[in-house]
Amino acid sequence: MKNKDLFRVIIIYFLSIFFAFIVISIIAILFRYDVIKVLKTLLTTSFKTSFGFQETIKKTIPLIFTTYAFTIPFMIKFFNIGGWGQMLFGGTVTAVVGLTLPKIGINLPSFVMIPLLIITGILAGGFFALIAGFLVAKFDINPIISTIMLNFVAVQFLNFIATNPIYRDPYEGHPITIPLPKSGTLGFISGIPYSIIFAIISIIFVFYLIKKTKLGYEITAIGYNLDSAQKYGINFQKTILLTFFISGALAGLGGTFEVINIHKKLIEGFAQTSGAQYGIFGVLTSLIVAGNPIGAPVAAFLMSVLLVGADALQRTMQIPVEMVFLSQALIVLFIVTFRERFLRRR
Amino acid sequence: MLSFINSFISQTITYAVVYTLTSLGIVISGRAGIFNVSGEGIMLASASIGFIVSFLSQNAILGFISGMLMGALFGFILSYIHESYKVNQFILGISLVILGTGLSDLMYKLIIGVKLTAPRAPKTPIIKIPFISDLPIFQAFLNQDIIVYFLYFIIFFAWWFYYKTKIGLETRAIGENPKAADVVGVNVARRRYLSTIIGSMLIGISGAYLPIVITGTYTPDISAGRGFMAVGIAIFASWKPQRAILGGFLFAAIEVIAFRLQVISQKIPYQFFLMLPFISVLIIMMIFKKQIEFPASVGKPYSRE
Repeated sequence: MKNKDLFRVIIIYFLSIFFAFIVISIIAILFRYDVIKVLKTLLTTSFKTSFGFQETIKKTIPLIFTTYAFTIPFMIKFFNIGGWGQMLFGGTVTAVVGLTLPKIGINLPSFVMIPLLIITGILAGGFFALIAGFLVAKFDINPIISTIMLNFVAVQFLNFIATNPIYRDPYEGHPITIPLPKSGTLGFISGIPYSIIFAIISIIFVFYLIKKTKLGYEITAIGYNLDSAQKYGINFQKTILLTFFISGALAGLGGTFEVINIHKKLIEGFAQTSGAQYGIFGVLTSLIVAGNPIGAPVAAFLMSVLLVGADALQRTMQIPVEMVFLSQALIVLFIVTFRERFLRRR
Repeated sequence: MLSFINSFISQTITYAVVYTLTSLGIVISGRAGIFNVSGEGIMLASASIGFIVSFLSQNAILGFISGMLMGALFGFILSYIHESYKVNQFILGISLVILGTGLSDLMYKLIIGVKLTAPRAPKTPIIKIPFISDLPIFQAFLNQDIIVYFLYFIIFFAWWFYYKTKIGLETRAIGENPKAADVVGVNVARRRYLSTIIGSMLIGISGAYLPIVITGTYTPDISAGRGFMAVGIAIFASWKPQRAILGGFLFAAIEVIAFRLQVISQKIPYQFFLMLPFISVLIIMMIFKKQIEFPASVGKPYSRE
């Protein structure tokens, strides 16, 4: 990237965030909220207390997974909006395995149980995304449609498991299962979930995948120019399937950690935060950095800062969390527009 | 039995309003070359504003009009950003979906707030045509609210416009080959604006229809994926208005059947019936794979140089 481009990128981000905050301020003024306090709460809650910071990290971890779930197919020009469906499915299947094993009398020690559950999440999420990959590779069905249809299937499947008499907690009114066995859960280290280790591993994995492997090279080539990539013998269909599997596996993994680390049981809406699914925020995060795998974790952290701020706004000033959600969508809209305006290639 | 069939058809028509208007809206913009995937977001935002206006004014018609205007606003944003900055239509569409989702709940919470009992929308009057409405065949079709009659009108109008008028033919040509249309002197950008805005207005009406007529109250995420199912319908209809209408009625029937089976069935958990419409979208798109055609320029930006 040239210096001039870098300067432009900085301008684009600055302008987009600036405009989005202007919109927030206008809404705040219209509904008679204290604008300064709103903006201050939004931006500083994460850094004021250690609790705020822990919450930010807790939200960053699933966001990293769902951001990558969108980013990797995006590099070959496919839109995987199914991050949340894959996350729900991964988490649900993990919970089923984790709850069923002790029920049928198999009590595995932690060092077997945890890897087993993680692999379950990877396979379940990957399989779920693979359906969409298969539909686009064989039937040319746009993944925007198929992944979203599958999201709703996953929502119902989660509801089916969480209300199932075998698994559900009879003392809860809301669809919630009984807790997972202790051997199947992860803990916290000074308020930070252990799953952060796996989030970092997945960041390294994605780097390695894109930069060092043959598949990563093929993904880059297809993203650059599909026709010439096929001319040089890249099997497009195989790349689609692999890409979707990996992206779903990451989302499913994110779901697994929400279940075994954060909630320690299956809750309807476990993949939800501040008014929307992590999968939706993942799409926004990825679009903010234009599908750049290196920028994704940073953007995920900044996104979480806003989300924690949004929760604080709702708690202290009764401002609906959707205001922040709206502003994030606006930031994305501004960024994609300005990016085309100032960085048009060719 | 006859009353059962009547109530089934009647209910299907109510849901068909949502599916048909939305997929028709997507087809209309697609015919001019804009692939509008933001249907879900438009529906949600229009549902919210439509409900708020109709609740505050106690007038359902005002609600539909405000939903339509919200749709027009979204259509304008979509076509303006696309035509002026050539932003990828899918990225734009998805951003607008998320924008609409956030906007819908925000507006409702800020204006109506949290109430103990859910506020109800005013009743939409049922229009009957003297004598004909009582005939057994027409009973289900002609005992409906004004939007259903609007739907009948739009069905006829869309067919007439695209196949019988010169402007309609020209607009279809933009979808196939914008360059050729431009050479003949058609203002491509203006047609794209108009088609997207009109299409989004239809989506807006169907969004407002959800809380005002179907549920009678606003709940978050009220469109529940129907905006995306309509995109599926538009694709499997190959962007032909008559097939989009057919698809709209088909999915309305599937939803009603799934809903009724869910009440009757004891053995199969109800969640699987709720999955049915979504799975059938995919199955139908697989079955009709061979027949699906896209207008050649749909989803692609057009610039004159």
